[in-house]
Amino acid sequence: MIDLSTLVLTLMWGAAIGCIYVLLATGLNLIFGVMKLVNFAHGELLMIGAYVGYSVLTLLGVNAYIAVFLSMGIVALIGVVVERLAFRRVLGSDKLNEIFVSLGLILIFDNIAVLVWGEKSQRIISPFENMSLRLGEVSISYDWLIAVAFVIVILIALLFLIKKTKIGMAMRATSQKSQASMLMGINIEHIYIFTFALGAALAGAAGVLYGIIFPFNPYIGALPTIKAFAIIILGGLGSIPGAIIGGLLYGIAEQSAVIFLGGIWRNAVAFSVLIIVLLLRPKGLFGEKGE
Amino acid sequence: MFTKEILFRKIQSTKFYIFIAVIAISAVIPLVVGDAFLIHVLTLMALFTIYASSWNLLASSGQGSLGHAAFLGIGGFVSSLLAINLGIPPIIGIFIGSVLSAGIGFLIGLTCVRLKAWFLAMVTFGFSVIAETLVSQFDDVTHGILGFRTPLLVPSGLYFYYFAVLLAALSVIAIYFIMKSKIGLTFRAIHQNESESRMIGINTAKYKLYAFVISTFFAGLAGGLYAHFLRYISVSVFAAGNSFKPLMMSVIGGLGTIEGPIIGAIIIVAIDSLLPNIDKFLQPALSPLFPAVSFVGPPLRFLGLGVFLVIVVIFLPKGVSSLLHKIHNYFREETKKANNIERK
Repeated sequence: MIDLSTLVLTLMWGAAIGCIYVLLATGLNLIFGVMKLVNFAHGELLMIGAYVGYSVLTLLGVNAYIAVFLSMGIVALIGVVVERLAFRRVLGSDKLNEIFVSLGLILIFDNIAVLVWGEKSQRIISPFENMSLRLGEVSISYDWLIAVAFVIVILIALLFLIKKTKIGMAMRATSQKSQASMLMGINIEHIYIFTFALGAALAGAAGVLYGIIFPFNPYIGALPTIKAFAIIILGGLGSIPGAIIGGLLYGIAEQSAVIFLGGIWRNAVAFSVLIIVLLLRPKGLFGEKGE
Repeated sequence: MFTKEILFRKIQSTKFYIFIAVIAISAVIPLVVGDAFLIHVLTLMALFTIYASSWNLLASSGQGSLGHAAFLGIGGFVSSLLAINLGIPPIIGIFIGSVLSAGIGFLIGLTCVRLKAWFLAMVTFGFSVIAETLVSQFDDVTHGILGFRTPLLVPSGLYFYYFAVLLAALSVIAIYFIMKSKIGLTFRAIHQNESESRMIGINTAKYKLYAFVISTFFAGLAGGLYAHFLRYISVSVFAAGNSFKPLMMSVIGGLGTIEGPIIGAIIIVAIDSLLPNIDKFLQPALSPLFPAVSFVGPPLRFLGLGVFLVIVVIFLPKGVSSLLHKIHNYFREETKKANNIERK
């Protein structure tokens, strides 16, 4: 029998995981919206972000939650390099080429991480390790709550950037009609670089938060990408509110499946959700426009 | 009439002679170098030629699958389980496995043919993960988690090698005729521009489904052979690496060509099997540079493969085989020029 406390824990745990996926999915969504490019190696940026956070923590000894911002900056720089060297050159050619380049990047990032940090599982130790908020029978780790708060703050900042600033307006214009915005004097190349860096920065932040909650190794990147993908499809392409609702729903669905069906179903759930949604509603649950 | 014409044209072409030469060389090589390890590597090349060609056929219709390992696994598990439980000889079992794989490919294809490139990649990848989960879940029937020893197909060593080469040659010939036929032409049209193909009256969903069924049949065949060749099968056959391998082989060799997957299979299998030999020289030289990792060889190799793949996609979009075409054309131009000068 499932009691109330298990249910509350499942919901909270699902929401915390879902939040990390929301960050990843938003970055992926942003890049897709503006560049019409799907970066299958996006989860690898999350993995690199987690390791950068880990290194910053051990080398400089800063607080784990300050490492989030440092990791965002460094991963954004990596994103710029990736965009310039790899994706820029296949953009607009056969769509399959983007998939191939992404796969090459997955191999490159995974193995660089193995060479630099080794294959052993690592964790980022947060200052609130082993501290939790007790609510009756349920105890909720502070780290989950802080992760949720962080995601909310980052998303609000992102929305502000996109809706209110000049570069955000240029990004929206480029996503609607890239050629027309080029004619209006927007430097599309710069917008592409900025968008990719922004998406990468979100992945970097997600990486450190992931590393605080879960242990990680160089091979964790692939599944979060797919889950982020499932969330984007669930929420509708190009819709940020959709991605947020989709992410939370998805995180809770995954945790429920683990509790009710067993651990080996954790990953199959992602795909079952993805496939069912694609079959029933190809535009997503909250999709505005189909691609 | 139509096939006769193709046959006639084919006999005239250089490609045909190269194909015969490759078959002849692969028949003679094991007699010259009787090393058991080398025969093992050569057999793997033949197996992966079938597997990569099947992936390449699907990709030639614009559908890049990231989950072909699902069909490799289905072919392998069906054939091995039939042999163990019902005593069906593996030589029939591998074909039952490939037919079943094609059947499941048909069902999966039904869901996939309407999807865009990225979604198709994700969904096919998803099916391989779901296949892995199901095989683990029904472990009582599949014995997949720990794996089991598969029965003998043909005696291992030379016999298996010749059997694999025979099947690889037959598969390549079959795929060649499919690619040269009207169906293959339609695949290429759909790959180049799907909406325009639909506009000129091609039922794109139907043809994409054809590609799925044919491709998964050969992938299942490769899977059956692979399981009986390794004499062992477990759920690890569904690993993502097995889905990415045929992709890398086809892309590096030359996407959408008949010789691409063959060249790619030879290159990748050679890298996978022969390069580990230099690990023991690399290890003392490089391990001080990378203190975090105990064996530097494998990650360096995969890193190199990743860089190779990206470079090929960016700078050589038609793969290594396009280089050979360029060399061939260059020599033909040169001889033409020489002939012209003589005539003057």
